[in-house]
Amino acid sequence: MKLYKKESNIVQILSFPNETVEKGDYLLIEGAEAGKALIVQVIDVQFASIPGILEELLRSLPDGGELMQGEDFDPLEIAPHITYIQDARLNICKIRATVENEGLSPSSSWLPSRSQSAIRKLPIPTLLKLAKIDGKLPIVLGGAKDSSFLTIDASSLDGKLNIITGKKETGKSYLSKLLMLNLIRYKATVVVFDLNGEYVSLGMTADGKRNGYYNKIHVLTPSQNFKIALKQLDLHVLLSILIHALHLPGTSAREFRRIWQSLKERGSLALRELGEAIRNWRCNQHVRDALFSRYYALVNSGFFTDNVAEAMLLEECLFKAREEGGAIIINLRNTSAIDRQIVVEYLLGKFVELLTSWKLKAIFLFAEEAHLYLRETYWDDIVTRMRHFGIFTTFITNQPDTIRQNIYRQADNIFLFNFTNEHDLEVVSRAARVDAETVKSIAVDLPPHYCLVLGKVVKDFPMVAKVKALDVKTMGETRLFFKDMN
Amino acid sequence: MIEQYTITTTPKYNFPQPTIDTTLPQRLIELSLHSLKHVQNQPFQLNQQTFQQTNSLEDHIQPLQPKLQPILLKPKPEETIVAAVDTSSIKIGETSKGILIAVRGANVWKQNKSYRYIRLGPFLFHITEENKKEVYNALRRAYFNSPHEHSRQSSPNLLQMPTRIANLLERWLQKMFSKTISNGLILFDGSLTSGIADTPTQRMIEILTTARKRNNVVLAFSKMTSLRFNGYLITDVLLRYKPPYMLEMTGLKPKPPIVLLGDVYVARLTKGNYAFRLDIDKEVSHEHRIEAVEKLLGTDLFSQSYPETLRLAHILCTFTANEVIAMQHFTAHRYGLKIINRPDMHRLLFGPFGKGERRS
Repeated sequence: MKLYKKESNIVQILSFPNETVEKGDYLLIEGAEAGKALIVQVIDVQFASIPGILEELLRSLPDGGELMQGEDFDPLEIAPHITYIQDARLNICKIRATVENEGLSPSSSWLPSRSQSAIRKLPIPTLLKLAKIDGKLPIVLGGAKDSSFLTIDASSLDGKLNIITGKKETGKSYLSKLLMLNLIRYKATVVVFDLNGEYVSLGMTADGKRNGYYNKIHVLTPSQNFKIALKQLDLHVLLSILIHALHLPGTSAREFRRIWQSLKERGSLALRELGEAIRNWRCNQHVRDALFSRYYALVNSGFFTDNVAEAMLLEECLFKAREEGGAIIINLRNTSAIDRQIVVEYLLGKFVELLTSWKLKAIFLFAEEAHLYLRETYWDDIVTRMRHFGIFTTFITNQPDTIRQNIYRQADNIFLFNFTNEHDLEVVSRAARVDAETVKSIAVDLPPHYCLVLGKVVKDFPMVAKVKALDVKTMGETRLFFKDMN
Repeated sequence: MIEQYTITTTPKYNFPQPTIDTTLPQRLIELSLHSLKHVQNQPFQLNQQTFQQTNSLEDHIQPLQPKLQPILLKPKPEETIVAAVDTSSIKIGETSKGILIAVRGANVWKQNKSYRYIRLGPFLFHITEENKKEVYNALRRAYFNSPHEHSRQSSPNLLQMPTRIANLLERWLQKMFSKTISNGLILFDGSLTSGIADTPTQRMIEILTTARKRNNVVLAFSKMTSLRFNGYLITDVLLRYKPPYMLEMTGLKPKPPIVLLGDVYVARLTKGNYAFRLDIDKEVSHEHRIEAVEKLLGTDLFSQSYPETLRLAHILCTFTANEVIAMQHFTAHRYGLKIINRPDMHRLLFGPFGKGERRS
């Protein structure tokens, strides 16, 4: 390999076909005399611009597009050299760091010698060691390109905002489950907003037996084993549900506040009493109608109960998880859109309450397709305010444009699977910790289950890994009509 | 090693195998390898220069006169083998002692509506002042096959060597076609003028006679000519006739030792302003000549008045820049040549006003 050109932080390296270099690989350009080396990453592999190549190719297609039959007597065997030159590659590489005195600096100001520098592939384990991507809480994400393992540290997810994105069926859920189970292993409290019921069987192996996580996976299905009593609710949480999830107008909300305070003073916060109070409250008929319609929405959701014993499971699970690690899977599979919002509004309010009072230390929240249940104002809340309380969110989506731009800007880690659509890549490339060229070039060619890891977990050295297979019942498969017929 | 490079042909081609004379390619390989042995670990200046095989013989030909009446042609679509020969040479670099050159030749033929080819080379030679005579004479002996032929000729200068070696290869390829094809049309690149070192009259006569005996007609197309009539190039004399037609040139008087073995025509074979000098074997009757050109029109494809078979032969033997790089890569790696950048004195002395070195 030879260094050909450098423009800004892009270097171009010539290589021959036998020097197998692929997108995502790291190369080390060593300048022996300078005692320095550049770490560069291949973001694109092109054919080198060889003079006369067009003539060469045209020459082999003279007869209406068919190859001309013939024989070549090439006694010196120069033809392989011609092929060799024809297939010479130009590797477009991005400078990631400079190695000097066994330390790394992000500078790219040093220019190695074009003729004297030695270029070689940098194995991922060496890079991980150089960049100090290690720690006491390793999480093996999967196989890196050179058959080594890409291992990140769980603490690099702590207090961070993560995004897992990629098109359908590329392995996003696999990765989120992998991260989640590893966090549980390190005794973290994990909450999953499970939109499709994919996480409910994580306590089982693929063949249906109980696995080591069985006792740590707590599945809560709203209106089934997950209900709340009005007595447990703070007024502001319920008002949030009424205003944001059920769109209660301001005037009606004021009346509701009075009704609630009146019931609380009387010690009769119960569903039946609430209905009676709305019926008998002296107010405008329109206000009453508005309150009644929301009241019935709450009742019909089945999420509310007057039986306090029935409504203790969430806290129990959270406290259990606090002690020995665990995941609370909020199964939203058969929950309607409005009920989903009610549940999420309640949960976020509850988490803030528990975290503020230090009943919980922190929660790792995994939110699948959050745009389907998260109200607009919560996005900013989650990445700024709630992070300070200890809610560390991982968004999982196959529609990157549903996540707001400012979320990308503040994301600490991005786990990017394949995207073909340029618009999708454009959205992701706005993330602050990512350079657009890397994202656009590498993510397009990622095979299924391969993930480009960007951000703090890899110390800003983008790396490609094949996500490790899990021996858990994943339940993420799409139901197929023709499955049994094939 | 050398024995394995005997020429074999595709089954459809009517070369009678046992008669094929492989002497010249064998000598080419031997000399190529021998010359390269002495090139090891030398500094190597990369540069390239294609040697155009210019028709300098035309300088020795007296002015001529066209016949006023053109010969109008009608394409005859008869199944005829059309075969063409071309070679090319290129200098791929300089060493401290001489030059590195590459030579390649191509035979292309059209049969049953499809084109086929045999390509020989590239043969690489390291030519120095010391070995140029040995290389050239060995090749001439291999081709002319008679010891007295070379004694009269001195070896060419270093820069003429690529063209000379390519010419020897070309004559050999022409001889192969004339010996193996029957009832066909053999297209040469250039003219049927002979009488210089690498185009001896006797050998050219032999080629044409052999071709004729096998009922072939040799047609030689010159891409460039310097023959003029009334001060104008003969190929610019365009009549108001609808192509295809030929215009016979008469009154050509070559100065000895130059000999014209063909009659010269200006051929305008397709629409457009392209015309070429076409030499047709003198010994072929007028009717056969016209029939041959008409068969060529009916059999081969034509683009800008030039036959496709000959165009393909030219394309196949010409070196592309990529191939030159590959050969430089080959020599540098196989023979450990150290690539150096010798300064261009014109650039060095005159800066941006230096146009680079030119060679005549």
